[in-house]
Amino acid sequence: MINQLMYAGGLALMLTATVVQADEQTKGHGDQDTIERGAYLSRAGDCVACHTAPGGDDFAGGLGIESPFGTIYSTNITPDKQAGIGNYSEAEFAAALRQGKRADGANLYPAMPYPSYARLTDDDIHALYVYFMHGVAPNDHQPQTTDLSFPFNQRWGISGWNWLFADQKPFEPDDQDSEKINRGRYLVEGLGHCGSCHTPRGLFQQEKALNDDDGDEYLAGANLNDWLAPGLRGKGEDHLGVAGWREQDIADYLATGRNAHSAVSGEMTSVIKNSTSHMTRDDLSAIAAYLKTLPVSDETAIGSERHVSARKDSETEQQLTRADDLSEGGRLYLDNCNACHFADGRGASGVFPALAGNSQANADNPTALIHTILAGAQLPSTPERPEALMMPGFGWRLSDQEVADLATFVRQGWGNQGGTVSSEAVRKVRDSMDKREGFSGNPDTAASDTSAAQADAETASQPNVKDNEQ
Amino acid sequence: MSTTRPEVDAVIIGLGWTGSIMGMELTDAGLNVVALERGNERTKEDFLYPKPADELKYGVRLKMMQRPKQSTVTIRRNASETAVPQRHWTTFHPGDGVGGAGSHWTGVLYRATPNELALKSFADRTFEPGFLPEDMTIQDYGVTYEELEPHYDFFEKVAGLSGQAGNIQGETIEGGNPFEGPRQNPFPLSPLPRTLTDTLFTEATKKLGWHPYPYPSANVSGAWTNPYGMQLGPCNFCGFCSNYGCLNYSKASPQTCILDALKQREHFSYRTNCEVTRIVKSDDGETVKGVLYHDGEGQEIFQPAKLVILASFPLSNVRLLLLSQIGQPYDPVANTGVVGRNFSYQITGSIDMYFKRHQFNPFISAGGSGQVIDDFSPDTFDTAKHGFIGGSYIYTTQGPGGAIGAVKVPPGTPSWGSEWKKNASEHYGHHMMLGTTGTNMSYRDVYLDLDPTYTDPHGDPLLRMTYDWKDNDMRMTQFMAERMREIVAELEPDYHTENFKQVGDHFDAAKYQSTHLTGGAIMGTDPSTSVLNRYLQHWDAHNLFVMGASAFPQNMQHNPTGTVAALTYWSAKHIRERYLGNPGPLMSQG
Amino acid sequence: MTNEPDNMKRRDFMRRSLLTIPAVSIGSSVAFNAYADSGVPALSDYQPMFFEDSQWQFILAATDRLIPRDEHGPGALEAHVPVFIDKELAGSYGRADDWYMEGPFHVDADEALGYQLPHTPADIYRLGIRATNDYCRQRFDRDFTALSRDDQETVLRALEKGTPDFARLGVQDLPSKTFFSFLLQNTKEGFLADPIYGGNRHMVGWKLLGFTGARASFREWVDQYDRDYPLGPVSLSGERG
Repeated sequence: MINQLMYAGGLALMLTATVVQADEQTKGHGDQDTIERGAYLSRAGDCVACHTAPGGDDFAGGLGIESPFGTIYSTNITPDKQAGIGNYSEAEFAAALRQGKRADGANLYPAMPYPSYARLTDDDIHALYVYFMHGVAPNDHQPQTTDLSFPFNQRWGISGWNWLFADQKPFEPDDQDSEKINRGRYLVEGLGHCGSCHTPRGLFQQEKALNDDDGDEYLAGANLNDWLAPGLRGKGEDHLGVAGWREQDIADYLATGRNAHSAVSGEMTSVIKNSTSHMTRDDLSAIAAYLKTLPVSDETAIGSERHVSARKDSETEQQLTRADDLSEGGRLYLDNCNACHFADGRGASGVFPALAGNSQANADNPTALIHTILAGAQLPSTPERPEALMMPGFGWRLSDQEVADLATFVRQGWGNQGGTVSSEAVRKVRDSMDKREGFSGNPDTAASDTSAAQADAETASQPNVKDNEQ
Repeated sequence: MSTTRPEVDAVIIGLGWTGSIMGMELTDAGLNVVALERGNERTKEDFLYPKPADELKYGVRLKMMQRPKQSTVTIRRNASETAVPQRHWTTFHPGDGVGGAGSHWTGVLYRATPNELALKSFADRTFEPGFLPEDMTIQDYGVTYEELEPHYDFFEKVAGLSGQAGNIQGETIEGGNPFEGPRQNPFPLSPLPRTLTDTLFTEATKKLGWHPYPYPSANVSGAWTNPYGMQLGPCNFCGFCSNYGCLNYSKASPQTCILDALKQREHFSYRTNCEVTRIVKSDDGETVKGVLYHDGEGQEIFQPAKLVILASFPLSNVRLLLLSQIGQPYDPVANTGVVGRNFSYQITGSIDMYFKRHQFNPFISAGGSGQVIDDFSPDTFDTAKHGFIGGSYIYTTQGPGGAIGAVKVPPGTPSWGSEWKKNASEHYGHHMMLGTTGTNMSYRDVYLDLDPTYTDPHGDPLLRMTYDWKDNDMRMTQFMAERMREIVAELEPDYHTENFKQVGDHFDAAKYQSTHLTGGAIMGTDPSTSVLNRYLQHWDAHNLFVMGASAFPQNMQHNPTGTVAALTYWSAKHIRERYLGNPGPLMSQG
Repeated sequence: MTNEPDNMKRRDFMRRSLLTIPAVSIGSSVAFNAYADSGVPALSDYQPMFFEDSQWQFILAATDRLIPRDEHGPGALEAHVPVFIDKELAGSYGRADDWYMEGPFHVDADEALGYQLPHTPADIYRLGIRATNDYCRQRFDRDFTALSRDDQETVLRALEKGTPDFARLGVQDLPSKTFFSFLLQNTKEGFLADPIYGGNRHMVGWKLLGFTGARASFREWVDQYDRDYPLGPVSLSGERG
């Protein structure tokens, strides 16, 4: 709830509220400009996302991060001297951010993206330090400590991993590039830690490249537990996704979770909600400009590799428009999807995402698309685009086979080149889903008439012995 | 005993269009604002496909509407009749819940014409003395078209209005409505695509020498991002529009156009299931000090506020003023007082035509889709020659969507049995309607007051409507019937039926007429004949502003929402620019 | 060091907040359309919640006369209209939960002032069926259900005109034509409302008209003038016809 409120507020409001509160606590230590800059940088780094427990206070830690070895709990990073980082010197703070070193010298688990934060300039580290010391209210919440089983509780083992994989140097601008592109690169490689999700990982779960000089696998896209984190390398022709977007499209997407082609879904939703939607347009344009300098490599790219032209496939459109001789999937599309995504599969710019050329529809792994069909989706409410547009879920309305037929239709219509989807694949996704209520368009008759709903339940449970009326 | 909450800068009563707009405007001005909504929370989740596509629930059982059990009105045609309650809604459909009528409306978004805002001046200029019936009490709004134009323009951007301008800065544009007031800008979006009924209507009316144009529609024709960053998607003619929430983010409503943006405002909050029962007067007699309401748990709560915005449905506005004893109640016999005065409604009529040769597929339907002529507006022809003041637009719209309400059978068909079935089957899809929506003048003996007998669950009297149809307005609608018959003659249907009111008919509250109820708390420039000054500020309490069509001194032919919204922005502008810095009456009592 | 907790966290966050579906559907991958084909019991197996047996027989017969099965297609019984009416009367509609039902009741007020009877819809059916049966016994010496189809139609026509005087049969404040208008309106509702309410089974009413149900998506059809729409309806729950 607190998070939601905070996310709902614009950056300016959030900052004002936080700073005022902090001033009372710290009696005016730390200059206002630096505090505000640090607050902004903490947004860019999305610190709050991991260091806040559900329903807990901001930055007070305690979010449980599941791992195969046990649960890792995020720490309290408020300036409380016992529970938080109030005793950290600026040098100790810098070491934590850049090298994953705790003040006592122990290693942090690389849940903390310190391999990326190693890029941060001294100046930004300073602003973040000032913000966390003077702009955040101390909170004595003592989050649960991480207690992994042996050997994963041996934090010293991380040193070797760090030595192998986390050796980034502080960022240095490249004179060959414009100031804007350098700024974009700094944000992407550093605070944005985009590579954490969008760069494929190696045998030891290390990012295969921590920056573009490290190899063209950097930001080439990755499959994350069945979800596609698409490639972000934006320089290329005839590619889906980011490479097919203009700089403005990328910036719009980061600011609002939506643009002329697409709408955010899955794990990126919270990144936009908590982080990028609060960044300045200049910074977002810089990020976009930088991404547009990274050439797509057909050998390494995932998610943007297909040379699917976004050409209009008039056959699908004509078939849906005539509405006769439809396949099962086509009929299901008309009955469930056409209202918003339309016969041309193009949706509506900035409102309903296009399915023609859609990354979920063209992904090797259909899981994300199946998820979306079953559970629906919701855009974040952002300062620029406050409307939290929702797509209903259809899991309550469609059988596994119907979802499979529909997903197959979407993956093969309008020139899309996704594979077929089996009902078993749908079943698997359905089984894996949480049993909480999602975005359902289920017309709940119980809301208007309890007895009718009871009657439904009763009649449904009666055996169909005979049917004289047929 | 009531609980008192901490004081706020402004309390808004009702969270529909006007409450939402005021929420934006007043938080923009830095005020701490709370809105109290009598009905339920209603979010986009309630409108997710396919939930709204439920004709029984929304089209027949009217689940978007206020529950008569909670509050209804009593109706009589004249002072000698005993008023009886609308026990379930037939004659009109007052909205309820967050979004209010703005969630279930049709989406026809018009401006008033310059002359309709100054109808009395127009009449005085146009007609011989003594032409107007003696008991007719029409007045000027006190605000001009030029003053409202920027606010119409802004709201049309908020709503993504789709259509074709007919007059841009004085230049007549082909294909638009040549009789509209000048607009500074074209419509934000192009018109909706044309249905078959649109095309037939357009051809016929052009042949007759008239000027068809597309209905100005707030069911948008394309993707739209409004000035608040809110978004609308293209209308897909789903067939579930008037009486329904939109399942496609296509119909402008507080939900699609304002509320998510408003909810981001730090200084805005709202409470649902909170029914305001009184606006509480201050001891100084010149202001109000807050509102008394019942929350969802049956607690009575006093909410102090520096500014009170009454933003509920017109009938509820008037009732709350009467219950709160703010302003002098209207007495039609003595012809004194103002609250309840100049209540008016809308004069409608229709023709159903049947064409075996056409397949209309009436489920392809959008509320704001249609074609219209304004050739017979109050100021476009010599109405005096025909014995009336006023006018109507004549239109077609494809539909109706739905099934229960969409069975159209030709004249003489039995209402049940095999014959009915056969005709229902054969004629579905072959029906086209013509409609007319017209002015309703205000009259001395048509008014609102508190019912002496019937009460709501809190024991407060219901509002009483004393309303009947008058000869002037019946002559007007009969004139329109004649014009519509000319269209029928052009179109040559296989057969047709008519539904028009005649001179001498009495108001029929058992049939749906319209939800465009206006007046009762009207605006003006003279405190002896209006409740509000021209800024919608109450003459008797300067920190009370009353929004909505209750401010209309008489009803215009065009649908009210555009003018209601424009007046709200107009009022907000004066609150922000003048009132907040120097609270007090914005007009002298004269 | 073999996982990426940051991603796990995000994934978990999404699981909790976005990627979920209602509990009702989790256990079952059988969609409602399959359910609609196999799970709805026959009319003869239906256990009315509101109607007593004799009333139920009355409703079966009356709705069958009002919308008969004939050469134009299935009628009220195939559509399970009686089930619809029973459910409606047992629920909030039958109780007039939303209506203003405070007195005094001016039952003789002009019709143009709208409904003014003291009865809920449930009352209207209870009283109306009773009075109609009394009327039938008086005129034909037997209950409505025992009459021939022709005689039943004669009685319904009389009710429609308001000929039977229910007051003289001991049922006050209920004009016979008011009872008939409720019966007819609810019968048509049951024939044409979404099947989720128990009637319009297999969308037979919609198919009779050519209505498309809850499809609600016709942007591409606006300019396809005079073309018969080729697809059958779809219901709220996804049943396809």
